[in-house]
Amino acid sequence: MAENENILMLLTLLSRVLDIDINVISDETSPENTETWDSFNALVMVSELENTFNVHFTMDEVVSVNCVRDIKGALKRHGIDFG
Amino acid sequence: MKKLSDIIFSRSISQVSDYFSLNREIEKALDHNELETGKSINIALVSSSTINGIKETLLVQCGEFDILTKYYIGGYNQYAQELLNTGSDLYEFIPDLLIIFVDTRAVAGDLFFMPYEISSDDRRFWIDEKVNELCTLALAFTEKSSAKVVLHNLEEPVYSPMGLVENKQELGFIESIKLINKGLTDRFKKNNQIFVFDYNAFCSRMGKQNVLDYKMYYLGDIKLNPKYIPNLCREYTGYIRAFAGLTKKCIVLDLDNTLWGGVIGEDGLEGIRLGPTPEGRPFMEFQKCLLSLFKRGIILAVNSKNNPEEALEVIRTHPHMILQESHFAAMRMNWDDKVANMKALAQEINIGVDSIVFFDDDRVNREMMREFLPEVTVVEMPEDPSLYCKILMDLNCFQSMSITEEDKKKGKMYAEEKTRRRMAQSATDLTEYLRQLHLTVSIEEVKTLTIPRVSQLTQKTNQFNMTTRRYTEESIREFMKSDRYRVLSIHVSDKFGDNGLTGVVIIRKEKRGVWYVDTFLLSCRIIGRKIEETVLAYLVSEARKQDVHLLCGEVIPSKKNKPAGQFYEKSGFVRIKHDDEADVWEWDLTKEYPFPDFIEVKIKEQPEKGQM
Repeated sequence: MAENENILMLLTLLSRVLDIDINVISDETSPENTETWDSFNALVMVSELENTFNVHFTMDEVVSVNCVRDIKGALKRHGIDFG
Repeated sequence: MKKLSDIIFSRSISQVSDYFSLNREIEKALDHNELETGKSINIALVSSSTINGIKETLLVQCGEFDILTKYYIGGYNQYAQELLNTGSDLYEFIPDLLIIFVDTRAVAGDLFFMPYEISSDDRRFWIDEKVNELCTLALAFTEKSSAKVVLHNLEEPVYSPMGLVENKQELGFIESIKLINKGLTDRFKKNNQIFVFDYNAFCSRMGKQNVLDYKMYYLGDIKLNPKYIPNLCREYTGYIRAFAGLTKKCIVLDLDNTLWGGVIGEDGLEGIRLGPTPEGRPFMEFQKCLLSLFKRGIILAVNSKNNPEEALEVIRTHPHMILQESHFAAMRMNWDDKVANMKALAQEINIGVDSIVFFDDDRVNREMMREFLPEVTVVEMPEDPSLYCKILMDLNCFQSMSITEEDKKKGKMYAEEKTRRRMAQSATDLTEYLRQLHLTVSIEEVKTLTIPRVSQLTQKTNQFNMTTRRYTEESIREFMKSDRYRVLSIHVSDKFGDNGLTGVVIIRKEKRGVWYVDTFLLSCRIIGRKIEETVLAYLVSEARKQDVHLLCGEVIPSKKNKPAGQFYEKSGFVRIKHDDEADVWEWDLTKEYPFPDFIEVKIKEQPEKGQM
């Protein structure tokens, strides 16, 4: 992954919320392969993504996230650049 | 072994998920037995919606002051059943503290949107019904449990379909919710087990537009945006601190740039900022805020680097100085290091350093204090004095579950103590000093009005407390009714002021003519003034009057009551029993015990309950 500041912010956030090592996070990281990604943590994640990147997701966006790639996609749509 | 606070303070916290990850770290450390933990507090939380995240956050926040908390979290919207079913897991958990978090939408149901579908008479009925429902639930629980109950009130909505004319309705919807809240507060005003938490005020403070995040609400029935969970938990910790007796008692203040703007040694009396000007008002109001805490019983003291004459000149002569010399229980204005000063202050005032909160605008002083006296709570003061008042009002560490009349006078009493000490320094011998104090000791049977204070003293007094038996208000009430017990309250005053109700004696009549001094305690601020001897003299004279043939004083040694433990021996009692449980000391009742001749003793007799 390109070392861009937004990526670092995203990975730090995910690592904190999901309590997993920053190095194991990939685009494929998802609730299926991550025990701590439960429904409540998913909402905490949404709340902190919105605070950190100063964006506001729609409910559809939240519901359609299935993995880290989807999170990046949603953030990109809100103008967050991942290099 | 690590302490909980070691783990917590090793990390910085900025988001709610930081609490969750700290919580996981603490749980791991607990699993591996790496933590030094004392007594833990059981907290139960029942609610009408999703409350995930509170437990994790609260565990960390309580860990900051090294309290380990264990949790019972009620099932989703199961609060009513759990509270009413005495066989439920909730009851089995035996909580020390129960939080009932019920929210407006859940309580109002469809009425939340269609309040005007029913008549105002029906709404009136509905209000009573809801108040009764919530009160019944809380009361049902307290009937079977001695836990303190924190009952949320309801968030008062800001929207009404009636819009501008909402408050022109005969009984408006928003008004109805306000009335439910009023009903709850009124119902529990005199209840010392159930506390209504003003969740509505909390929501206002966070901003009602923010607390509900609609997306979270629709997705997970989360009524409080997770980012406010830490704020809510801070409110809860106030109750927990109070419950655990971790309430702070004393504020120690710096002077320059803390109580006034500028440096007196450089800017002079006319140059410092204090008074009704834009630059002076923050300091003046900070002082007013401190004074209001003083008036509810918080002790104030000064620890500053100043020439004492210059600083005192400000305190004594500045026209806008709100705090006066008479408000401070002790003052250290010198060029010594502040840590040494702090230790000396604690000793002089006779409180533990762990009950002190320190305000100092200087970062270096703050860091020194944290480093060398970590027990002191050091407030992180903002650069901008306009935030001083806010910081002080946001401190949640002076909470107490009851404030007695005695408590309110505490700040004043400790300040009067300073004058006494000054006299002691000038008097050459102790008896002479005590004689000059014009001490008066009033002894009377406990009354309904003094029960809370008497119980509180048995709960809080550690040093001069022969047996450290802790009694609830209920127990004291039982003693009052019983022929076997006499509960005496001791009131001390002198020429500088009233020390208030500061001592308790409980006599247990074992059989005819045999009296045991079950409890004998004096608050530490009055010991060493021959009050001890006066009380003993009274007990001996009473026993002789009532034809008692055996008067026994019990002593249960604890870590803290050594000074008390030796008192009977020093007073000429003879030990007749010594084992692991308690020592028993006897007074030979053929002899009198002399009253100190310089103390006036007032006995307020009450009708006898019957003799034994």
